[in-house]
Amino acid sequence: MRARLVTMMVVVFLVSALVTNCAPTPTQAPPTEVVKPTETPKATEAAKPTETPKPTEVSLPPAPEFIEVGASIPLTGKFGSLGTQVKPGYVFAVQDINAAGGVYVKEYGKKIPIRLTIYDDESDPTKAVSKLETLYAEQNVVAYLGGAGSDMHAATAAIAEKNKVPYLGIAFALYSIHQQGYKYLFSPFPKSPAQARDVFEILNAEIPEGERPTKIAIFQEKTDWGKELCGLWKENAPKYGYEVVVYEQYAPKTEDFSDMILKAKAAGAEALFGMPTQPDGVAMFKQMAELGWTPKFSLIIRAPENVTWGETLGTVGEYVTIFPGWHHGEKFPGVEELNAKYQAEFGRPADLLTGPAYACVQILANAIERAGTLDRDAIRDAIAATDMMTVVGPVTFNADGTGNVLNPLIQWQNGKLELVWPKDQATADFFYPAPPFDQR
Amino acid sequence: MFVPLAQSLVFGLLVGALYGLAAVGLSLVFGVTKFLNVAHGELLMLGGYASFWAFTLRGVDPFLTLPLTMVFLLVIGVVLYKLLFAHMVKLTEEAKIQNTLLVGFGLSLILQNVALRLWTADTRGITTSYSRMAFTFLGVRFPIVRVASLGIALIALFALDLFLRRTYTGKALRATVENWEAATLMGIDIQRVYLLSFVMGAALAGAAGCLVSVGYSIDPGMGMSWTLKGLIVMVLGGLGSFMGTFVGGIVLGVTESATGYFLTLTYREVVGLVLFILVLVFRPQGLFGTKER
Amino acid sequence: MGRKQVIFIALLIAILVLLPVVVKKDNIINLALLVLLYICLASSWNILGGYTGQTNLGHAAFFGLGALSTRFLWMSGWSLLPSVLAGGLLAVAFALLIGIPAFRLRGVYFAIGTLALAQILYITVGNVFSDISSLRPQDLATYQLVPRYYFFLVLALLITGTTYLLVNSKLGLGMMAVREEEEAAESLGVSALKHKLLALSISAFFAGLSGGAFAYYHVGYYPRFPFSPEWTFDSMMMVYIGGAGTIIGPIIGALFFVVVRELLALKLVELHLIVFGILFILVVLFLPGGFVEAWKKMQAAFARRSKERGVKVSFQTTDD
Repeated sequence: MRARLVTMMVVVFLVSALVTNCAPTPTQAPPTEVVKPTETPKATEAAKPTETPKPTEVSLPPAPEFIEVGASIPLTGKFGSLGTQVKPGYVFAVQDINAAGGVYVKEYGKKIPIRLTIYDDESDPTKAVSKLETLYAEQNVVAYLGGAGSDMHAATAAIAEKNKVPYLGIAFALYSIHQQGYKYLFSPFPKSPAQARDVFEILNAEIPEGERPTKIAIFQEKTDWGKELCGLWKENAPKYGYEVVVYEQYAPKTEDFSDMILKAKAAGAEALFGMPTQPDGVAMFKQMAELGWTPKFSLIIRAPENVTWGETLGTVGEYVTIFPGWHHGEKFPGVEELNAKYQAEFGRPADLLTGPAYACVQILANAIERAGTLDRDAIRDAIAATDMMTVVGPVTFNADGTGNVLNPLIQWQNGKLELVWPKDQATADFFYPAPPFDQR
Repeated sequence: MFVPLAQSLVFGLLVGALYGLAAVGLSLVFGVTKFLNVAHGELLMLGGYASFWAFTLRGVDPFLTLPLTMVFLLVIGVVLYKLLFAHMVKLTEEAKIQNTLLVGFGLSLILQNVALRLWTADTRGITTSYSRMAFTFLGVRFPIVRVASLGIALIALFALDLFLRRTYTGKALRATVENWEAATLMGIDIQRVYLLSFVMGAALAGAAGCLVSVGYSIDPGMGMSWTLKGLIVMVLGGLGSFMGTFVGGIVLGVTESATGYFLTLTYREVVGLVLFILVLVFRPQGLFGTKER
Repeated sequence: MGRKQVIFIALLIAILVLLPVVVKKDNIINLALLVLLYICLASSWNILGGYTGQTNLGHAAFFGLGALSTRFLWMSGWSLLPSVLAGGLLAVAFALLIGIPAFRLRGVYFAIGTLALAQILYITVGNVFSDISSLRPQDLATYQLVPRYYFFLVLALLITGTTYLLVNSKLGLGMMAVREEEEAAESLGVSALKHKLLALSISAFFAGLSGGAFAYYHVGYYPRFPFSPEWTFDSMMMVYIGGAGTIIGPIIGALFFVVVRELLALKLVELHLIVFGILFILVVLFLPGGFVEAWKKMQAAFARRSKERGVKVSFQTTDD
């Protein structure tokens, strides 16, 4: 009877292998037909030197039906709240590009629509790897779009490197991922060095000397990004005339911040810098209010980036500032249309991560057009040479794959996220100092 | 010196009371039915959302909705029991644990992801108009919502204790914990006792969830960490004593907070767990548990 | 084992060996690799949890320790096999360290005690080793999935084979005696503690090796990731849904858990976890005791009916 079980197992295994083998099912664009893995790009590589305008129409290779692009996004699990902001950015951008006929690929002499396949990786790096391998082997994607959170990017960017597929990812500020020498990873998103520098420059520009919150408390999460970003803040502070009076570490998922808060209060700290997760950030601010310590200025990256921060904390969450990478109030071409589209579907202007996600697709489409082919290495080189206007503003890339992008400062005011820096983009004035919690 | 320590302990006390409340529910269910309901944390999450929506949409004070939240979870408990757990009553103890673990696992996947579809993955919580108020005693601040939460946790617990000690049904419940075979012989309707303990466990999870949404925050994925904490506290306090379980929760919460004060915040949970292990080394039946036969 | 079984097992192994040769797609190989990884984890959990009756909720600690030390040694220039072996041995060392105090505990106390131990390691590793461990670009340029697949295949065969030998040995009988009735086993001269410790060590060793293989396989993760409790729970679920205390149980469980879940994820995207949860509960409700027991019951029922009708039963149910 064990033999029968074994047979059953073999059958299950084979059947499932078969089923995965022919798994189409993208979330977007109905699966018309599985696009044949066109080996054409390579063939044309050889024929490329013929740049002369000959009767090209005759020699053009048959164009593929779609440009295949794939994304593995954490839609469930602990990064779910980030992933759900990223996804509509990708989807809307692809819709907009396809509405205009697609991306012009010179090699085929015509516009080809993008087909985007999105999978949910459950915020699990191992599952994300599976999804990227499926996108590579089944959809034969020309590029990957990333998910959210450094846990996920660390795994997926490495798979992109292994498969030699260009990878555009946002929603992580960790700089160390970029320092490993990966060639296929690009991120049009502000990184820790910018976040650690800009805050002091903005404070010094906005607030006259003597009124600045020169005594800083830093609450560092015990993670690599925490170490990196908070370390940079600590390093930069003296250069701009600031003093770090409290530097405390905590492990993620802490319920009790009272000890750190009391230390900051006792040291007379006037500003708070931190990058807590959402639950940690909410607990931190509730306890600050209860213990009666109000920093005049707080830069809290990550936790306040969701629209629910305002309704969760009410006035306690007011005046907090963030470096989220983008804001729907930016005055770049395409932002208004994106907001309108987002408003129609979700009833509010585009979320903070939606813009950068949208820009990823813009950058990719632009690069494919410049490359004039669907060859992955050519697209990679074209992305590296990007110099264009997107919904997040002008974008170019450094050699390490980090983008030169705007790093706007956002502030919670009257229950809304307002853009306060840079001035020419601002939707509201920077508010300082924050009034004590019990006087709001 | 005194003030910061005392302040830490005030916060630790509440954290501990919530651990205790979550664990008492688990312990009640496990003690009576030997069902290891690993979806307990998800029930807590549902309780949190029930209070949150009542507050956000209707403006009802979370402390007022607490009884309603408990009733809501009670109903959910009845449905889940009838639908899923009633099938497990006749199994052996070992098979019961195994099967309820599996069902609980599936259930937690469903509840988590249904919550995610309905209410998004964003973190939410309740901040009332009096949330930032506190009274000061000897220089130590006592935030009103936390004191109230602690009070409610204690009331819920004493009510439970009273019920278990004074009513016939409560006594039947306790008898089942001690020895279910003898209880059956005494003419106790096991099915009814099982159902009752299960729904009471769910209601306690609901109460805990409500208080969590006031004191901390809620999100669809929060369940697992509360289930794990609940299991640890259940064993720390020891099976068979619900008051003991609650005290176990307080001990753990205060230890964690004191660690933050004396050592470092990065290892507060680790020190709590080490304490737990030490307790088990010296008292394998938990702090207040009855020794195994 | 009957002749039929030997043929089937040989056939199965042949299919698994030939898979990467026939199927050239990395996603299929990757999925098969994950199934093998979970077979390793679930089967190693089964040695203590299924055969010896000790529900260990700290399995991820052994897996994580194996991954941590292997990754460190391997990336610092050791060759692969010694690194993985060191990972396995470290896991055994940890098992022996915690074994004696842990086995003073019974039932749910043991389960939660081991859970707490694993959580201590999970948080501590997260604090101490907070940097991502990614393969370097030069490693990735030469990264091949197929050797990793074979590594896991060999490991899965090793673990399953060892379990088979163990179950049919005196030691294995002792372990099962401890599971059934500890006091009775002791009175027959079977040392419960000795058998539990041995089972724990073997289980930990294999989990450590699996962790080592994971470190060899995975391109980029945080060092705390293999310590996360999900690894334990997933393995345990696989054993239970397949059939605890059987050799084939964890294998079927891993297949169901990994393949069905991945297929649903590819087909349904956002809704897949809800559907998987429902499916999972249905399986538990209709097949209590897991796939293996359901199969046995079905066969028994079939055999009974055949007998009633006076039909000759065509297959044997003599083994286990």
